[in-house]
Amino acid sequence: MAKYLGVIIDEKRMATIKGTPLEEKVESIFGGALRRLVIEVPDDLGQKVIDQFTKARFDARGYIEETPAAFKRAIFKRIAEMKELSPAVVEKVLKEDLEKVKEEAAKEDKELPVPDIDISDVLELQKNPVQKPA
Amino acid sequence: MPEVRIKTLPPPHGGKLVERVVRDPQMARKLMEKCSAVYDIKPTLFKGNPVRNVYREIMSVCYGFFSPVEGSMTKADLESVLEKRRLTSGWVFPYPILFDVSEEDFKKLGVGAGDWLLLRLKGEPFAILEIEEVYEIVPGDVAVRTFGTPEKNPEVVKVPFDQKHTGYNIYCSLNPIILAGKYTIINEPKLRPPFDRFWYPPKRSREEFEKRGWTTVIAHQTRNVPHTGHEALMKNAAYIGDVKPSDGIVVNAIVGAKRIGDFPDEAIVEGHEMVHLAGYIKPERHLVTFTLWDMRYGNPIESLIHAVIRQNMGISFHMFGRDHAALGEYYDIFATQILWSKGIPSFGFEEPPYMVDGGFYIRPQNIEEFWFCPKCKEFAYSANCNHKGIYSRYSGSFIRGLINEGVMPPPEIYRPEVYKVVVKWWQKFGYPFNNEKYLKEREERLEVDLPHMELPAHLKK
Ligand SMILES: [Zn+2]
Repeated sequence: MAKYLGVIIDEKRMATIKGTPLEEKVESIFGGALRRLVIEVPDDLGQKVIDQFTKARFDARGYIEETPAAFKRAIFKRIAEMKELSPAVVEKVLKEDLEKVKEEAAKEDKELPVPDIDISDVLELQKNPVQKPA
Repeated sequence: MPEVRIKTLPPPHGGKLVERVVRDPQMARKLMEKCSAVYDIKPTLFKGNPVRNVYREIMSVCYGFFSPVEGSMTKADLESVLEKRRLTSGWVFPYPILFDVSEEDFKKLGVGAGDWLLLRLKGEPFAILEIEEVYEIVPGDVAVRTFGTPEKNPEVVKVPFDQKHTGYNIYCSLNPIILAGKYTIINEPKLRPPFDRFWYPPKRSREEFEKRGWTTVIAHQTRNVPHTGHEALMKNAAYIGDVKPSDGIVVNAIVGAKRIGDFPDEAIVEGHEMVHLAGYIKPERHLVTFTLWDMRYGNPIESLIHAVIRQNMGISFHMFGRDHAALGEYYDIFATQILWSKGIPSFGFEEPPYMVDGGFYIRPQNIEEFWFCPKCKEFAYSANCNHKGIYSRYSGSFIRGLINEGVMPPPEIYRPEVYKVVVKWWQKFGYPFNNEKYLKEREERLEVDLPHMELPAHLKK
């Protein structure tokens, strides 16, 4: 069974690949709410990725999940550069970017930048909870 | 004609709710006078990391979540639980509940059967253990027998348990000396916010149900911030009832030592609360609660402790999905549903747990999966939607990946208000999930604070 590596394509990443052959490879999930690119890799290469990161694992559908965000960033960068979705992209990252990815990943385990969104509406809702302390 | 309406809440498991909390300080002082030694509760460590704190079991016993269990089990009860998942009284109970101390501490304490031991938590008197029996265990054996083996339990156990399983590690890491006897809380802890508003021990939850006029209530087990798939599951499972859907939907979170990568418990309880604060379920129909327990991830075995807890709370139905309270692939993914539809004889259930002597009143709602289907235009039930290749299944690890990358999950996955609760705690802890720092600090902080209480003179050193 082949394994898969999905990379989420947000607006910024979409802009990077606009006009390239990659653009039509973008698939939509959750009814178009999210977009992604998928690289199909052979089993042993999938396993090689898993072996690099302590939390990484295959999920029930054969997707490689729980890899560091730094790894996904590196994968996307190489996809955009090589303009293809082949296992060669993953091999290149493992060969050339791994050290830097692992460095960044170690930081990721301690801290992740908080998204810059306004949460005042939920703080307002919480001001008057229906359930009160005993 | 048989009566089809459910007019009363189910009785407590074992017939009577346990409540062993002394609220009168004078009485507390009197009881402390009878104690011959003091013991400071410490966490159970596995490879240096806290995986359990017995204080949570003492709370769950004394506030009645684990009725009819009243304390640390005697050797006869332990054997009976491991052998057939029954207490010696015949009531179904799945897990050993034990107060364990090291040989060194045992010698230092100098206590034995008949003595009372004062248990201290965060430096303050907390509870009393009336020692009835002292015996030794082999922790590894207890661990193996608690979860089962492929040889003994071939119906559902696929591979032997090992050190990758958190629950197994908890039992392997117990101290070898067991002090058996009843617990009594003598200094009532104060739940820390945000947990305080979700604290509904069985007595209080039953009062709350009665106040709200609920007689049919369904429980949702959680260890997650709810995504829309969980929400669809809760709402649809709640169509079970009597002549109408269930009156109430009760979320009961299991709060305790956790694994790296899970959501913090603070975000879990507040995330569920946001489902009603933001109006996705009417607050009149929804109650968010929690139980203190260091999850053992025992899938079918864990489902039994869930039944104990929730029946004691007064709940009539329980949702059981695939991979219920599971970790890894030790059990069949349908193990809990097998137990609750036909039984697992090797675990002592020739029939489902609501059919056996000493079993439950609570009824299962064994349910499959919900996914998002753009063609059905709904969070579709897997037994309905046939749009293979079109629907998107939920995957916890996929969602964690999104959050990790800083991508806001779309409303098809998370209600925006619920996601913002995750962000709120992310701001506080600097991280959206449990990391080493969080786990370490939370096991020092715990979920409670204890009021100051003077030790009796004879116990001061
Ligand atoms: Zn469909």
